[in-house]
Amino acid sequence: MGLETEYGIVRNDLSDSDPVIESMEIVRAYQSCDLTGWLYQEEDPALDARGFRVEGLAQDEEERAFTQSDYTRFFSFREMKSDRILSNGGRFYNDHTHPEFSTPESMGILDLLRYDRAGIEILRLAARERVRLLGPGAALSLYRNNTDYHGHSYGCHENYLLPREIPFERIVEHLLPFLVARTVLTGAGKYGFESSERRGGIAFQISQRADFMEALIGVDTMHRRPLVNSRDEPHADRKRFRRLHLILGDANMSEWQTAMKVGMTEMVLTLLVGSEWEPRIVLSDPVASIRSVSASLRQQPTLPSKGKEQWTALDILEHYWDACQKSLHEWTSEERWVLSEWRIAIDQFREDPGLLADRVDWLAKQDFLERFREEESLSPDDPWLQSLDLEYHNIDADQGLFWALEESGAIRRLTQPNQVSDAIVSPPRLGRPRVRHAIICRFPNEVIEAGWEKIRFRNGVLLDLPLFQKSGEGEISDLLHRIETVATPGELSKTIEAFSGV
Amino acid sequence: MEQPMGVEFSPDRQVVPGSPKKDVQKEGPVPKKPDVHKGTDRLMDRMKKVDPNQSERYRQRTGE
Repeated sequence: MGLETEYGIVRNDLSDSDPVIESMEIVRAYQSCDLTGWLYQEEDPALDARGFRVEGLAQDEEERAFTQSDYTRFFSFREMKSDRILSNGGRFYNDHTHPEFSTPESMGILDLLRYDRAGIEILRLAARERVRLLGPGAALSLYRNNTDYHGHSYGCHENYLLPREIPFERIVEHLLPFLVARTVLTGAGKYGFESSERRGGIAFQISQRADFMEALIGVDTMHRRPLVNSRDEPHADRKRFRRLHLILGDANMSEWQTAMKVGMTEMVLTLLVGSEWEPRIVLSDPVASIRSVSASLRQQPTLPSKGKEQWTALDILEHYWDACQKSLHEWTSEERWVLSEWRIAIDQFREDPGLLADRVDWLAKQDFLERFREEESLSPDDPWLQSLDLEYHNIDADQGLFWALEESGAIRRLTQPNQVSDAIVSPPRLGRPRVRHAIICRFPNEVIEAGWEKIRFRNGVLLDLPLFQKSGEGEISDLLHRIETVATPGELSKTIEAFSGV
Repeated sequence: MEQPMGVEFSPDRQVVPGSPKKDVQKEGPVPKKPDVHKGTDRLMDRMKKVDPNQSERYRQRTGE
């Protein structure tokens, strides 16, 4: 599993700043990395998991103009991207004018959470260094959110590795009702509407992304955004794996929500992949339904569906929970924790949604915004409320509203600070990132580019990296010892192949 | 390529594999017991400092 989070960035000391330059420079200000060359050769965002390649991706007029102007700038594509392959196995770079941190490939829910949190710390460190380099008077803010309230969105994408033999259509069809319903527990909350029918309205809704979802399925990620992205880039052996790339989720501040978002989704996928189970729900219009869930707040409506049964988002979540609970699959301790929290959340929401305000961003946000509104005698559509919403997502520990809540204990924290500190610099103990890091460190002068699944050397050797899914910590350590003794990059392939066969 | 006047473009920094700086911002202990009053006071203080027009000025380009 993995998470990719794009951050909003703004210079507070300038009335107008260039988002391309700012995103590049903040990434470049971060000095701790293994390598700066990203291997783009293996990427093809136009390849569709349904078995075809699209001719082009959708872009609106504004984006087309920006893209054209970017081509005439004084720097190259690679300079603009400013890729950093970090020692923790993650990637830090400028993605479409937003600094983005991608976690390393993670084998567990809490591991992924630690790396996601480490990403926030990395952005903080980069911001501090960037401001120092700019000199006195400079100031910038970074926002872990998904909206600028003016029609632009940026994403927090989830990635789940699946076996190739499971038909993509089965996954999509049976996952859709769950994806729509999970919004009620995973939304970050937003003061504003940006769907065409309600654009500019200042009122509260659950999700920051729902307004930007316009299709069921598709390869696009910037326009005509789909509930399920069909980009076919497995970042692993294409014959054996596919990567489910979900772009509909919000970037959460609450760690509980991030853990539950990936945990519940991973469990539902495990269920769909490993059994014949199928949900009884077929929503009539999932795109309209996710907007309906988002706008309905604490009074969740029955969603239009095919069949005689009536389903609210809570009913749907319960239906999937029930299937996971009854499944014969041997869930891990982390997954059992998710299952328990999932049940509690459904019950508490039905009793009183406010009971979840210590772990759900939108409920916490709605509570304190309402208290502030009453205290300051503001009207429900006062723009100040939207500014407070934005500031909830400021990652600066001394300014962001979320951090005041978390520090006081009003919002739960799941990670341990020392583990997060370690995750800033060290790769996960299991899986591919640790091996990738070791190889780059072993041949610092020979490695010129690396991606998730391959490393390119100066002599032209292109090394495949398997996932090491079934390797324990001891086995990985053994491999690292062998890598240390390898004399040339050319010997790595045999070393890894021999190991993979274990 | 030449840089335009007035723009300082940072060079790629020295790459030091495997020896990143352990420069971590201060963090408090993991909270064990909620202290809602303390949190509320600090939160309200921060909220009052937020510029009411901040979101109006906030502009980003479309991401993914």
